[in-house]
Amino acid sequence: MAMSCDRSRKKWQKVLYKDQGVSDNYVDESFLEEMKKNLHIRTYEFWAVVRESNVVMHQIYSVWIFVAVYFHMRNFVLTPQFLFEMSSAVTIVGYIVNFVILHENALTKSRWKDGKTMGIFLILGFSLSPILMTLTKTISTDTIYAMTFFMLLANLLFHDYGTDAAIVSQAFSLNAAIFASICLASRLPTTWHAFSLVTFAFELFALWPILRRNLKIHFPRLQIILSFLLGSVVTVSVATVSSVAVVVFLLLHLFITILCPAWLIRLQPYKNNIHGPWDEAVIKQ
Amino acid sequence: MKHSICMVSDFFYPNIGGVESHIYQLSQCLIERGHKVIVVTHAYGNRSGIRYLSNGLKVYYLPIQPVYNQCILPTVFTTLPVIRNILLRESINIVHGHSAFSALALESIFHARTMNVKAVFTDHSLFGFADLSSILTNKILKFSLAGVNHAICVSHTCKENTVLRGKIDPSDVSVIPNAVDASVFTPTSTERDPEKITIVVMSRLVYRKGADLLASVIPEICSRHSDVQFIIGGDGPKRLAIEEVREHFQLHDRIRLLGTVGHSAVRQVLVRGDIFLNTSLTEAFCIAIVEAASCGLQVVSTSVGGIPEVLPPDMIQLAEPSATSLVESLDKAIAKRRNCQLLSPDGAHDWVRKTYTWQNVAERTEIVYDKISAATEVTLADRLHRYNKCGLVAGKIFIFIAALNYLLLILCNWISPVQNIDLAIDCRKLRRLKTGGVNLEQSS
Repeated sequence: MAMSCDRSRKKWQKVLYKDQGVSDNYVDESFLEEMKKNLHIRTYEFWAVVRESNVVMHQIYSVWIFVAVYFHMRNFVLTPQFLFEMSSAVTIVGYIVNFVILHENALTKSRWKDGKTMGIFLILGFSLSPILMTLTKTISTDTIYAMTFFMLLANLLFHDYGTDAAIVSQAFSLNAAIFASICLASRLPTTWHAFSLVTFAFELFALWPILRRNLKIHFPRLQIILSFLLGSVVTVSVATVSSVAVVVFLLLHLFITILCPAWLIRLQPYKNNIHGPWDEAVIKQ
Repeated sequence: MKHSICMVSDFFYPNIGGVESHIYQLSQCLIERGHKVIVVTHAYGNRSGIRYLSNGLKVYYLPIQPVYNQCILPTVFTTLPVIRNILLRESINIVHGHSAFSALALESIFHARTMNVKAVFTDHSLFGFADLSSILTNKILKFSLAGVNHAICVSHTCKENTVLRGKIDPSDVSVIPNAVDASVFTPTSTERDPEKITIVVMSRLVYRKGADLLASVIPEICSRHSDVQFIIGGDGPKRLAIEEVREHFQLHDRIRLLGTVGHSAVRQVLVRGDIFLNTSLTEAFCIAIVEAASCGLQVVSTSVGGIPEVLPPDMIQLAEPSATSLVESLDKAIAKRRNCQLLSPDGAHDWVRKTYTWQNVAERTEIVYDKISAATEVTLADRLHRYNKCGLVAGKIFIFIAALNYLLLILCNWISPVQNIDLAIDCRKLRRLKTGGVNLEQSS
């Protein structure tokens, strides 16, 4: 008797137009059957993540080098002439390297255009340096240092590291860095100092990322060597300014390169992405 | 047992929409069944104060203006005095909130629970889980559903979604579908063009409603069948895409764009069609396809959300949310139409008329009301305990808010004692006096 009762009871269907003889709050065994969890997760490999984290470190190296250069100029260890000559030479070398790896023609019109831009920039920069220097002269040094800190932090936050997140804004990032350089330039003694620092800032924050990106695309192996090189340059230059700063830098380096990847991988098992028929459909091509 | 019910939502007449007509129709049917129903909503422009709709449906247009997306500013505590006053005046024993988007509904439910009045919440929409707005909204929903006595969802998919979002027991959620007023959506054969096959689309032209899919389906269908024409009602940002398609493929005589169609004119447009096309990317229930089926059209739709649960296979052709699949399903529907294999319009209308009725919805809602009225009352300690389960940090915040609301209620009771509040006239008594005769029914 009991068996025939079971067989005659039909399977519950997930429809709204049939009265299936159950109450409205009936929970069938097939409840949440179509729910799927964690469909599109990626598995991360520790050393791969560490390698990729050097994108962030490169920009941090730029920031630290810039600040170290400022302090060296302030302490009269570095003369503005030397800085200008060195940065110009490195820029020209970098420019040549850039168009070699991009397989561009050495004698195209864009060379002439780039040369013109450089000329205009240098002339304008040099003539406006007295103004640039006095722009923030009346503000107290502490405020200047605080502003510089936040501007460089903004540079790091909004920089384009290769993702297409909403927070990325190349223009804002560059503007923040240049504003930081103007802040610092006002603390330097002469116009020459200001001009060389601002030019150096432009080369470091506007031109270097372009070369870096092209190098990463064409020579990915070079990234590690570049990291070691730049890292040592930063360590040496900062060490001569302040030993506390070196320790902070090394700790920061350790945190971003080793600790953050480890943390990311440790958090992966807690992922809880829920998918189901309630999701907004993605139009399939 | 007859109840005094207060329907609360930010969305009500004079706004026209799914939630609005749901509240109105449900209230009317509950009044027919002998319950007392009032509606509480926010002011619409100058429309503020108390208005009466047909059958003595009393509507409180609270003097609060909407700020964003037709909803009031969520302040949690400032609505307590006015809601408390209304619930006491009207001797309400059940508060029924509608729509998770409505701040007024969620706040009223919260205040009702603080006053130990039973509360029901109806969810009309589907939500995601992954983006920031969803995460915040789901937290707020967990808070609301932690206090509510019962929840109602309009489809099984909606129930699964609500249970996952709100972390409530699935047996505390009832599935009661929406309905249509079938007497308004009647088929007629005279409006249809017998030479051509007309496909009607009636939706807002936005991304969510699949306007891009529509734009890619139209030229394909028009090239495959020379006797097919499209009538598209509705407006929106994607209207330009449809007009571009019309220009590009020179389909001026085969696509008619009607712009926004008023609610009363919808039926006139629907009866001109043979097939109704719905390309939404997400729908909890989709009342439009039921309206179309009631007018006798064959429905072709994307199989998303709750749509597969609404109509039987002989009345709807389901497709994957892709242009190729939609074109295939449309081909099948057009072939069936040519071979006269479709369900007759009157047959479809009769089916809808018998299956999706507001009386049925009211009956099932009444069962929910009876069940929660009979349930034992929950103490303040139990409620706070439930709020605590909403999260590690959020739980503590919710406990704080609930406790503060309780203290504010005590303050309100002291400032304006319950005995000093006049009770409002019960419209049911007035109606019985008007219709005359002896009535042995007890008023609750």
